[in-house]
Amino acid sequence: MRFFDLWSMSSSNLWKRKVRTILTVLGVVIGTASIVVMISLGLGLSESMMKEIEENGGLTTITVYPGESNSFEEDNTDKLLTDELVETIQNIDHVDVASPVLNINVIGKYGSYENSYINVMGMTVEALEKMGFELKEGTIPQRDVGRLQFLYGNQVLAEFYSSKGGSSYWETGELPDIDLMNDSIFIIFDADAYWNVQYNDGSAGYGDDSGTPVTPPKKYLVETCGVMAGGPEDYNQYSWNVYCDIDLLTTQLKKVFKNKAIPGQPTTSSGKPYKELYYNSIYVNVDNIDNVTTVQKEIVELGYQAESNMEWVESQQRQYGYIQAVLGGIGAVSMLVAAISITNTMMMSIYERTKEIGIMKVLGCDLRNIQTLFLMEAGFIGLIGGVVGVTLSYCISGVINIVVNKMGTEMQLSYIPFWLAAIGIIFAVLVGMAAGFFPSLRAMRLSPLAAIRNE
Amino acid sequence: MAEKKEEAVIRVKDLYKIYRVGDSKVRALNGVDFSIYKGEFCAIVGTSGSGKSTLLNMLAGLEKPTKGEIIIAGEHMETKNENQLVKFRREHIGFIFQSFNLLGTMNALENVALPLTFQGMDKATRLARADKVLDLVNLKKHKKHKPNQMSGGQQQRVGVARALVVNPEIIFADEPTGNLDSNTSEEVMNLMKRLVREQKQTLVMVTHDNHLASFADRIFHIKDGKIIKIEDTREENKEQE
Repeated sequence: MRFFDLWSMSSSNLWKRKVRTILTVLGVVIGTASIVVMISLGLGLSESMMKEIEENGGLTTITVYPGESNSFEEDNTDKLLTDELVETIQNIDHVDVASPVLNINVIGKYGSYENSYINVMGMTVEALEKMGFELKEGTIPQRDVGRLQFLYGNQVLAEFYSSKGGSSYWETGELPDIDLMNDSIFIIFDADAYWNVQYNDGSAGYGDDSGTPVTPPKKYLVETCGVMAGGPEDYNQYSWNVYCDIDLLTTQLKKVFKNKAIPGQPTTSSGKPYKELYYNSIYVNVDNIDNVTTVQKEIVELGYQAESNMEWVESQQRQYGYIQAVLGGIGAVSMLVAAISITNTMMMSIYERTKEIGIMKVLGCDLRNIQTLFLMEAGFIGLIGGVVGVTLSYCISGVINIVVNKMGTEMQLSYIPFWLAAIGIIFAVLVGMAAGFFPSLRAMRLSPLAAIRNE
Repeated sequence: MAEKKEEAVIRVKDLYKIYRVGDSKVRALNGVDFSIYKGEFCAIVGTSGSGKSTLLNMLAGLEKPTKGEIIIAGEHMETKNENQLVKFRREHIGFIFQSFNLLGTMNALENVALPLTFQGMDKATRLARADKVLDLVNLKKHKKHKPNQMSGGQQQRVGVARALVVNPEIIFADEPTGNLDSNTSEEVMNLMKRLVREQKQTLVMVTHDNHLASFADRIFHIKDGKIIKIEDTREENKEQE
């Protein structure tokens, strides 16, 4: 028999028994949809996890912190982050860029606006280039300018609040009227001194013009070289920070603090700063995600703490794998029930059609054709069920996401990639055919005598 | 006689069929020998339980003989497996059933074309051929009718057309008029007889009715699994002419 004849014969057989076919298909629809939706939940979870990781610092980044201070044998200062260490790390295989990171909290002022908690990160220009900022305007800090320049994260602006009693962006939804690029922003590096002035002079309260006995810290005008792309609510790992060239920052800080300890720097037991400047952390970028673990291990062996997203990612992935397996398993139970109902339907259909099958055999229908006919019928049930099931899955997935988003999270909880849809349909067809295999064998083996026996 | 010189289409040698019913053996066929020649219309007549249906089933390859040989169109039926038998039936045999056995979901044309479908013929060709054969059995007006829209006689004519359509070497008919009233029976028998003549087909019919058997060229009387008499009606007919 020709394939098309088999095709039309089996589909018309299903069409003849519409109600039963629909009921059986319904089982497959539910089975497919439950598997696909369940797996989509697992996928959505791991997908949103990966997105979160991207936001929290790419997967190839390692951050090095000073060695554990609770180890008894070693002196604390031994494991502090120095230029030598940066050099050492830079020479480890697969390390692309190693940059010291010096961070300090400063206060920014523009007119009546104030941002009392600007986190300034000093890094090498090389590393800044590597971090791949997306800029709305301007450039990243340049190497050869010779004066300190700030690159503002896109969320920094939202943290400026009016000291004239106005409320912040988070309450009003209105951004401060500051053009970070062109307005001159004044920076107070010695935040402690600033606060001292503020609180010692309770009556005057605001402003730097209050004539208090304590000398207010000096304000510096710092040029803006660029602003990152994104609105005040587009969070990423950089969006809260201000970046600048580390060398210029250290020069500036040494100038500002002179003999005083720079905030965040370790001090001797007598409270004096060390001669050398120690870094808060070291930013390490590895050439490939596969090498992150190796590099990280090497750094740890040097006696420092190294953090990357890898371990977390791996354990999370394992965890989501389990969740996916469990959810998929739950879905699979309903698919199993659907498969049993396909088998049942096919058996019923074969009993009903004993005579028809017999006639076909007497008239010379090939045994393999008869088997194919029934396998195709079962496969059809699977196919229709699979297609409808996957469509239904997309609907359910959409509803889940809408509901979840209404509840306030922005994540896509249910995620059905194209391959999952395709596998869902193929799987449904295979299940259908597997369920139809035994009945089809039975049909093939039916005796043709049954047909000509006269009832 | 001219016909007798032609090759035997069916050659049955020493055929036995023994059923086991509990501890006892039932000899449905007990040593049968005969030949049927091309273009003949033969009837196998016997009472129920005589073994006539068993014989027909074995000729058509629906049952396996216990012992003996069946040679149809030069091929041994008893050595074929089920797949080969199906293939053989598809290519060489037409079958007319007592209860018509048309597929209720197909119209007359499609029912007639069904055996051609099994041969893998394309739709246009097979429908054209079925159409022609339906003309032969005088069913021009009922081609698009489903079996339940036709009378018994019309249905059996569709059945006859279905057997003829593959242009088989042999047509087997199992009580073809068993479900028809006597007038319709005559009609169908005459039709079959005429077609066998015109198409030069070989027809083997099983019946319990001596009157119907008299339409045949030769009549095999079977009783208790043995052929007791072979009657040739052609000589009588000739004498009558």
